[in-house]
Amino acid sequence: MASLQERLNEFKKSFESGAPPYNAPREAIETMHRATAELKATGIVERALKVGDHAPGFTLFNQDHVQVNSADLLRQGPLVVSFFRGHW
Amino acid sequence: MELEALHEIHSEVRALGAQIVVITPELERYTRALHKKLNLSFDILTDLHLKVAEQFRLVFTLPDYLRELYKSFGSTLDRFNDEPEYRLPIPARYVIDKGSIIRAADLNADYTIRPEPSETLRQLRTLGGTAAD
Repeated sequence: MASLQERLNEFKKSFESGAPPYNAPREAIETMHRATAELKATGIVERALKVGDHAPGFTLFNQDHVQVNSADLLRQGPLVVSFFRGHW
Repeated sequence: MELEALHEIHSEVRALGAQIVVITPELERYTRALHKKLNLSFDILTDLHLKVAEQFRLVFTLPDYLRELYKSFGSTLDRFNDEPEYRLPIPARYVIDKGSIIRAADLNADYTIRPEPSETLRQLRTLGGTAAD
């Protein structure tokens, strides 16, 4: 099975080709590249919490509107927390 | 794609005594549909208005020109996230140990690059004995 990044790269290649099914205009692709470069330059990655930092606790609703508390999860074992910008 | 890839490693993560949660600014009506569609075995948590992402210092604001471009694609964050300011988290994956200490952090300002699930598994294994106790 291809790695996640291989699959993502395949999608990116297809999208940035400008060909169907996405038909992304060259201008739009350049705009996206510019935004990514600018975001990198802000130093956001360097400012974010990193290895060795204390992870903030949280209580959030899951997809079934049930409250999930990070302290409850951590009592059971290590926790993988993946931040996802959305499906769109 | 990222959620499907996490789903593929979830049973191994569980076998290591760990759990996965995904945190997104998307509203519950969208996470519910997505969770069902992908038939996920871990929770997707709604971080309304990015309160938790802010604490991890992952939040940025989309520039106006990009906002307009996304709108032209039909991606409106006011609708999906109740986020009229068009803020988002950068892609990030953390491995947190039982003492709430971050033991691994994979971050990227480029949203087309996502942490590899096999790498997350490796990081969990390096927690070693602490993972199972």
